[in-house]
Amino acid sequence: MTVLLWILGILAVPTVLFALWMARVFVKEYRKELKRASQSPGTEDASEVAEQFGLLPPERQNTDWAAPLPAGWAAALNAARGGDWRPAAKVLHTIGRDWERRSAAVSLFAEQAAEEDAWLLEWETEHPDDPDAAVVRARSTVFLAWKIRGSKRAQYTTREQFEGFHRTLVRSREEIARAAALNPDDPTPYIAEIWVALGLGYPHSEMDKLWAEITARAPYHYEAHFSALQYWCAKWRGSEQLATGFAERAAAGAPLGSLLTALPLIAHYEHDESEDSAVDRTPEMVARVDAALADAAAADPAHPRLPELRHLLAYYLSLQDRDEAALEQFKLVDGYVNALPWRYRNDMAEYYCTIRDSSAAAVAAAAEPAA
Amino acid sequence: MGATLRALRAVALLLGFYALNLVLLAVLAALDAAALRWAPSALAGKIVIVSVLLAVPVIRGMFMLRAPKGEDVAGLEVTEADEPRLWALVRELADAAGTRAPDRIILTGEVNAAVAEQPRLLGLLPGPRRLYLGIPLMTGLSEAQLRAVLAHEYGHFTGGDTRLAAVVVRGRTRIERIIEQFRTRAERKVAEERARQEKAAAKAVAKGKKAKEIDTTGAGLTYRTMARIYTLYGTFYLRASLTTARDQEYAADLAAARIAGRDATASALREIPALATAHAFYLDCYAMLGVRARLLPPRGELFGGFGRMLSARALELVELRAQLPDEPASPYDSHPPIAERVRRIEALPADGRAEEGKGVALDLLTAPERTLAALEDAVLTEEARTFRRAADWDELLNVSMAESLASLDTPLHRALAVYTKDRPTLSGLLAVIDDGQLWRLAQRLPLSDEAAAATGRAFREFVRPMLREALRSMVLAEFSAHSLVTWEFSWERAATAHLPGSLAGDGENDGGTKAGAVLAAAVEAALADRPDTGPLRALLPPAPAA
Repeated sequence: MTVLLWILGILAVPTVLFALWMARVFVKEYRKELKRASQSPGTEDASEVAEQFGLLPPERQNTDWAAPLPAGWAAALNAARGGDWRPAAKVLHTIGRDWERRSAAVSLFAEQAAEEDAWLLEWETEHPDDPDAAVVRARSTVFLAWKIRGSKRAQYTTREQFEGFHRTLVRSREEIARAAALNPDDPTPYIAEIWVALGLGYPHSEMDKLWAEITARAPYHYEAHFSALQYWCAKWRGSEQLATGFAERAAAGAPLGSLLTALPLIAHYEHDESEDSAVDRTPEMVARVDAALADAAAADPAHPRLPELRHLLAYYLSLQDRDEAALEQFKLVDGYVNALPWRYRNDMAEYYCTIRDSSAAAVAAAAEPAA
Repeated sequence: MGATLRALRAVALLLGFYALNLVLLAVLAALDAAALRWAPSALAGKIVIVSVLLAVPVIRGMFMLRAPKGEDVAGLEVTEADEPRLWALVRELADAAGTRAPDRIILTGEVNAAVAEQPRLLGLLPGPRRLYLGIPLMTGLSEAQLRAVLAHEYGHFTGGDTRLAAVVVRGRTRIERIIEQFRTRAERKVAEERARQEKAAAKAVAKGKKAKEIDTTGAGLTYRTMARIYTLYGTFYLRASLTTARDQEYAADLAAARIAGRDATASALREIPALATAHAFYLDCYAMLGVRARLLPPRGELFGGFGRMLSARALELVELRAQLPDEPASPYDSHPPIAERVRRIEALPADGRAEEGKGVALDLLTAPERTLAALEDAVLTEEARTFRRAADWDELLNVSMAESLASLDTPLHRALAVYTKDRPTLSGLLAVIDDGQLWRLAQRLPLSDEAAAATGRAFREFVRPMLREALRSMVLAEFSAHSLVTWEFSWERAATAHLPGSLAGDGENDGGTKAGAVLAAAVEAALADRPDTGPLRALLPPAPAA
């Protein structure tokens, strides 16, 4: 009897599987239909409202940067792309000891050198001990390593990618040490090393030493703090507690206008796995956003990282239904969307516009009865 | 379900394995009969033809079910007169286990020991018994451990469970063997097809045509279809009888611990996977190294070398023993995970027999050296027996390396041939590098999806490891062609290449590594973002006047 049941059971399996599969297909189609019916009119309205405020549609948003590049940088980048290193060298020379700007410009050129480095090789040949070329070299090798790894999670990353990642990171350490030796006051090489620490999994004790090197040179450096916060995140080498602690300490200890109030917001964002925005409206989060607003107002308007803070502010103001204030930030950064929180999504421009448009629509609706 | 019921079900399913053929044939016959009777004659003819085509593999499959019966493991049969001590041990253990001693003992070249019965009627009735005893196993185990292994094997016949359980286990080994056979036959078909296509591709390349992609998906289709049906049924059977089989393994382990001692049994269980890994390595890197040069180790060394490698690499063995597989080899494996078996044995109370039989099991043989030599004749294939024997291991290594370097065929060679439409040589490669075409050439290498999608520096970084490896061996091949490389043989380490004096520096001991570093740096320079073949060209032996 058991034998017969076994055999019948086996024969029945494919039929059941087929029926289940068909059912799934039906349910999926049905839900899609429902969505299409309910969604389309609303979104169109909101994007029209946004247009009336002078905001751009997704296809006109720049997805390469968080804000327009400072004068001369774009031209220098283009020259490097075309093989001429001199404009880039000139930009770095002009910046001099403004570490905040220097690290931003180095990243920009290094990203290009991670693609193709013929121009950089030429620069290095003509000026073998140029600290600017050395720091671009070091940073570019770190970028290269991360490019080889790819941006997928560990389980979707191949052994070949990991090996290349590891090999390249290890090699970059020599270049970082050389760049640091050529310009001992510059924190930029050490900031690059944070990304080595992330990839190679430096122990916390090593990271603390590295951090001491950085804060001795630039105590309130935005990019350094942003990078270190990534290290302390749960998805890399730390935990939610360590990341939040680091962010709060940095924000509390920094002078107004240093933009480090962005850190608690980023730490929150990196560890937020909730489905709704309740966790983003707590009094604690409102206070964080207020602090960041004050920080942004006090900052040098030309601070290279100010637009990144504004993107974050716009996002959280919108989630907290402070749409008026949100729209103000959106208007200040509109046109460039490569910043947190949008950056983590493949459809960053669409995502940015969805949140922005919802605030725009809310502001318009509030204005209507008065008009 | 009780144990007896489970066993009954398994026996019924075992019979079903045969019934499967008959059912398949009956279905086809019924289809034909129906077609002839009711369908128009043109259609009926087609149906009959198709069904005959389908019946062929079924009938083939039926014969194949019979085939394993005549299976013969290559080995050296030893009589009681040849090996009195071994026979005495085997008898004593059979007595202790309460089962019949084997009728024949056959020494084999594998890391395995098995008592096989030629069962009659699907294993329902017992038949003559043979003990297969692997010499590599005897080389690696102590006498006490060998006793444990044999006691375990006998335990399968006494188990202490119902008679049916024994039948189930016998049925399992049989079905495992049938599936294995299907698999190897299908693989052989694919390999034949691949060899045929590769030959055609090689010819095409020689004539300067583009080689076709090798595709073996169509090969052995009927075999594989049949194999799939039987494998499906077989795995179904194996799964249905799994619990019975695993219980039997645990029971056999207990019997072994009782007869041969707890510690010997546990350590034998730990030792066998380590030995299997070590032996596979030994065959690859030592014993069969010269096969392509048609060269074998000196007589007696084919099996003798294993013992020496084991003692030289004792530390590595310690590591191997420590990492017990804690998952079964496959979901259908009748053996529970070794880690679990060891745990159960080691949980038994101590029996104070830890110090028994410490000597190497191989010493049970009357004249081990003579036996090892005789075994070579028994297990080597006809063709292998005609191979030349090296004078010593050093010669084997040097000749084999020279041969493999002379016929070197890396992916880089193939890419170079495609790119330049010329015979792939080192000088050709260096010319390509000097012309700044290395990275275009690299695009012809077999690349992973990620590497193929990468551009610029990332692409170069992806392909560099492969290029480095291939270029290094091409350079070694160049030295080897001028007889400038000597290889240092070692049982402990991988062979090291010794390059000519100009490279080697002065210190004798670090000569190899120093030359290696110089070579590595030169290879690195040739593959840099700005390639420089100068250092490498400076190292190379002067080219013969062309």
